[in-house]
Amino acid sequence: MRVADQQMYGTLLGNLQRSRLQMLTSQEQISSQKRVTNPSDDPSAFGQIVLDKSALSQTTQWIRSINFGTARVDAADHALGQVQNLITRVRELTVQASSDTTSAEGRQSIAKEVRQLQRQLVQLGNTEVAGQAIFGGTKTDVNPYTITAGDTVAYQGNSETQSIAVGENQTVQILVPGSSIFTGSTTNLFDSLRDLLTALEGNNRSGIQAELGNLDLATAQISDAQGTIGALANRLQVTHDALDTATLTITKSISDNQDADLATAITQLRLQEVAVQAASQTFTKIFDTSLINYLR
Amino acid sequence: MSGLNGIFGIGSNALAAYQRALAVTGQNIANVNTPGYSRQEIILNEALPENGRPGQIGTGVEASEIRRSVDTFVEQQLLSSNERLGQFGAAQKSLSKIQLLFNDSNDQGIAAGLNEFFKAWQDVATNPADLTARTVLLSKADGVTTLLNQGASQLSTQRISLDGQVQNGINDVNALASKIADLNSQIKLIEVSGQQANDLRDQRGRFLNDLAGLVDISSIEDATGQVTVFVGIGQLLVTEQKAYELTGVANVANNGLLDVRYDGGTGPNTDITSVIGSGRLKGLIDARDTTAVGLQTSLNTLTSELVSQVNAQHRLGYGLDGSTTQDFFEATGTTASTISLALSDRQKIAASSTAAGVPGNNVNALALSSLQTASVAGLGNTTFQGYYSAMAGSFGATIQGVTRDLQGQEILHDQLLAHRAEVAGVSMDEELINLLKYQRAFEAASKLITTSDEMLQTILTLKR
Repeated sequence: MRVADQQMYGTLLGNLQRSRLQMLTSQEQISSQKRVTNPSDDPSAFGQIVLDKSALSQTTQWIRSINFGTARVDAADHALGQVQNLITRVRELTVQASSDTTSAEGRQSIAKEVRQLQRQLVQLGNTEVAGQAIFGGTKTDVNPYTITAGDTVAYQGNSETQSIAVGENQTVQILVPGSSIFTGSTTNLFDSLRDLLTALEGNNRSGIQAELGNLDLATAQISDAQGTIGALANRLQVTHDALDTATLTITKSISDNQDADLATAITQLRLQEVAVQAASQTFTKIFDTSLINYLR
Repeated sequence: MSGLNGIFGIGSNALAAYQRALAVTGQNIANVNTPGYSRQEIILNEALPENGRPGQIGTGVEASEIRRSVDTFVEQQLLSSNERLGQFGAAQKSLSKIQLLFNDSNDQGIAAGLNEFFKAWQDVATNPADLTARTVLLSKADGVTTLLNQGASQLSTQRISLDGQVQNGINDVNALASKIADLNSQIKLIEVSGQQANDLRDQRGRFLNDLAGLVDISSIEDATGQVTVFVGIGQLLVTEQKAYELTGVANVANNGLLDVRYDGGTGPNTDITSVIGSGRLKGLIDARDTTAVGLQTSLNTLTSELVSQVNAQHRLGYGLDGSTTQDFFEATGTTASTISLALSDRQKIAASSTAAGVPGNNVNALALSSLQTASVAGLGNTTFQGYYSAMAGSFGATIQGVTRDLQGQEILHDQLLAHRAEVAGVSMDEELINLLKYQRAFEAASKLITTSDEMLQTILTLKR
């Protein structure tokens, strides 16, 4: 077999170029720390990265929504806690007023304090977060409770609720309308307060006593709402924790698919360097053995 | 011619023969790196002997032929290897450029745009009364339309640039065909007189290989040394000294991009676009009309579903201003290049499912944001992201396949070149040995002449 110069140089050149190309790929991986930047680097991994990134974007968004919802729910919880304190005070005053030792004047002054408490309760019913009422159903742009004639309080909201997405096909309610807390199906707190005020100012002892029972009903109704809101807060927290875990898992999956394994890439680079060195040395050796070196 | 004159004759024949031999060696050494060069070899023969007593006496050496070492089988294989190399090389380069469409690794791509769009919808769902969330949604929606518009324009720009390369390819084919036809006539002229047109044949071989790199051809050499070249399905490209042409003709049905047509000189042109089987033109046409169009179609399907799904849901809801049955995207813009926003007023974003529920009702916005994870029938029952991911994955597999084909073909081509070199390549060692051999023979032949001259002198002095 003849061995022509082109054979030796051509084969060597081809091998050298291929080794250099692989070196370049390894170097790119090391410098960018990414194994997959284009679909052609690893088509199935690229597809998975796209899906994982979409999933990651969803979980971060759900967490964002949960944080928003938690703020609403916590504000509602806090407001209802204060409402309960105020009702307790109203009940104390009512008990005091219903005693037969309390004079008509005493009932008048109690009525003044109860009216103050009623105004505070209305304010709590109008609690806002970032300018939006949280007890008005989805009617977030108006005050849910307004005092109309005398001590009558009217509900301006609606009975709709709002839920936020916290997972795929998973929603959590973040809003309990005032119509099922203050002015619910069992009793209407504000009607009771109005009637109480009328009885106090009219020095009507039996009327005052009748409102005691209604106040207890209101306390129970608001406790129910607190229970509901507590459960919602709890669900939001549990979902948040689960999403945190999911975020970690997805981030790891993206990293597994996308990031370069530095140890492997550096080892590859070393191997390719050796191959390039060997090929380069072969070049000079071929030249050494050429007949032309011996013809002087 | 026997006697001293005969010896002179032998000497001078030998001098001439070895001078030629040295010239051939020189030509080989000089062309050691010329691509497509075939090693030449001088064939030395004994010259015709003369009758005499006691028997025939030799008259020396003659150079009878300068032969070109060539393995026609390997040459044919190289031609088809060049065809595939041209095809894969062009495909790989064009697809790598198209691949820039998928710049998702740095979160700049269409997938990221879709994510942002649905995230913005969820923000509106979470806080439907908040005007900022609505403004952000409009800008993210605008972002996704821009990304789709850019994707579409990138693809059509790539197709136009590929079309320019197709035209260049056609021009190159025509130039090569006419050069081959020229060489045909020169080779015939030289070889009819019994000469060997070695160097012209090498040149023509190079042109044939270049031509094969552009388009698949078949070629056959006739008795007069001229090659006939066929292109397409048996269309004559070169016959004897006549070259025919390919032309690029704009195809209205294909956005005015070029069809490759064969111009046989008579009658209408023949469209050979679809029968080109390999070569650079095939790689370019495939990238232009198959891969890029496939991506365009996929992007358009994605866009059209996005527009119709989002609009259908959006029309059911109510805006802050009570507006309903509003389109979110322009209903007419259902392709990636035409998608645009119909809504410009953030009040009209229909987050609520009831007119009475505004501003806090978010049921419709929730339904819209859940489109992100919904299986869409028009996308083969996958999600928008799933469809995009599959589209990127299958494109990636195509380009990966082409890259592997190209690398495999390059290795095969190197091997074929080595095979060719084994027969036709110049070995410097061999040439140096020949150089010495012929030089020594030339010196010896000169010695023969001086010796016979001395003998003649001796005879001439006898007369005195």
